Amino acid sequence: MRHALTAYRWELEKLTAQWRVRAVLGVAVAAPWLFVAVLRMQDAVPADTLFGRWVHLTGFAAPLVVLVFTTQYALPLAISLVAGDVFAAEDRYGTWKMLLTRSAGRGALFAGKALAAGTYTVVLVALLGLSSLAAGVVVLGHDPLVGLSGTLITAGTATGLVLAAWASVLPAALGFAALAMLCSVATRNGPAGIIVPTLVGLLMQLGSFVNGVDPLRRVLLTANFDAWHGLFTAHRFYQPLVTTGLVSATYLVACLGIGYLLLHRRDFAEG
Amino acid sequence: MPRPAEFAVRVAGVRKRYGTVTALDGVDLRVAPGTVHGLLGPNGAGKTTVLRILLALVRPDSGTVDVLGDPVVPHRAPAGVAGFVESPSFYPYLSAQANLDLLASLDGGHADAGTVDDLLARVGLAGRGADRVSGFSLGMRQRLGIAAALLREPRLLILDEPANGLDPAGMREMRTLVRDLAADGHTVLLSSHLMAEVEQVCQDLTILRAGRVVYHGTLDALRDKAPAPAHHLRTSHDAAARAAAAECPGVDVETHPDGGLRVRATTADLDGYLLRLAEAGVTPRALAQTTTSLEQLFLDVTGEDG
Repeated sequence: MRHALTAYRWELEKLTAQWRVRAVLGVAVAAPWLFVAVLRMQDAVPADTLFGRWVHLTGFAAPLVVLVFTTQYALPLAISLVAGDVFAAEDRYGTWKMLLTRSAGRGALFAGKALAAGTYTVVLVALLGLSSLAAGVVVLGHDPLVGLSGTLITAGTATGLVLAAWASVLPAALGFAALAMLCSVATRNGPAGIIVPTLVGLLMQLGSFVNGVDPLRRVLLTANFDAWHGLFTAHRFYQPLVTTGLVSATYLVACLGIGYLLLHRRDFAEG
Repeated sequence: MPRPAEFAVRVAGVRKRYGTVTALDGVDLRVAPGTVHGLLGPNGAGKTTVLRILLALVRPDSGTVDVLGDPVVPHRAPAGVAGFVESPSFYPYLSAQANLDLLASLDGGHADAGTVDDLLARVGLAGRGADRVSGFSLGMRQRLGIAAALLREPRLLILDEPANGLDPAGMREMRTLVRDLAADGHTVLLSSHLMAEVEQVCQDLTILRAGRVVYHGTLDALRDKAPAPAHHLRTSHDAAARAAAAECPGVDVETHPDGGLRVRATTADLDGYLLRLAEAGVTPRALAQTTTSLEQLFLDVTGEDG
């Protein structure tokens, strides 16, 4: 446990020392403000996107539009940029042999890296959510939000619901992080660890559009990205959050379990 | 208190295959405590695989491996052992100090600035602790690798080609450092493909060829078996020079692949041979020693002699 926490601390130290990680987190803060500023300046609204038609009326619609956009296209990529490289980077730098000849075992190193990638994922989602909420309220105002049942949601309630909606995608986000880590361990290649989970995310999005495959849709990691809709109806329903949360947890446990076994059994004959 | 071991390293009947390639084929190795032991062999002989097994980076297919008296548990770094295989690697975006602190913390410790400064000075990197490793040359990384190993205060130090990337002065410093470590009671197992490097610091030697041990013993015992050193001789008349050699006992002459003759003889026998050449009217135009006795033996036993 002590070695795992030490490895975790050093993984965070290594992540924050890398310009790529700083750049992604910087974009997570700045991009929502840019997006909201563009919305404010143009007459047209993204009417095809959930809550898109209300973006000129209230700032609470903007973070939900950002949530839809990022979960559809950008979030798996942004997560994989770190999680997909966290193990493969040791192969690239040839540093496994230095780490594995110290007292901390493979389990501790795996746990430290997984915790660090998870922390990055949570921080990334939190920055995106908080930044888009702040940008929406500051630039577009804090008038009540029109819910999915057509009822008005007060500013205070809307604030809590927007934050809850962002928090609700964390299980799938962590599931994608675990998938990226598995790719990173299995391929020992950073670009593969980044690209494969991103493509899997896009394929899952496409799969969710296909009619007649409901059982398949329920086991897709991306289903969790839409599970927050029930929070914005007059009679809230939480079942999708529970179901997709369990599916995400299954992905998380399976990917981390397989990843750990691969690392544990690996012969370090190169590098 | 760790119990004293008869051997710092005892390897018996170790085999290792990578797919269809046999890396080690029944290797036996014993390293006495407090000695500097050389693991010698041409590229691909299996030296690094042996070291990886000792450091628990690689699991042998069969055989037993004991380090400092305890069996090596596959994939768990043995206590009291430190070192590196191939060239040591670090995080280029972190400083030398940060890299060492990271490695120390994975051993449950902490490398404060004073400790790091002392270690860096010991390996010839004084004042470079705050520099990022990305600016380090191969030789500097090699030195930092030794500092990282010493940070663990090991009883057994494993060094894979430690002189790689070092200039002549650096190589001399490395040899001095290895001797000092042995004098301090450390056991050092170092690999090399250069006999000249090993014979200057090692008491004992294991020579590998294609995954098999072809010599295991002391350097002195090896010297007793060593053939005469080889020389490259160019003359005014090679055929006459070859004929003259037949009259000189202890002199073995054959055609050199680069032209001229390859002459194997001790210094005394060579002196006699040169006098005989003068009597035969053959002028020596160039004479250069190409291998020492031990190098010649190494080349003979490893089959590297072209």
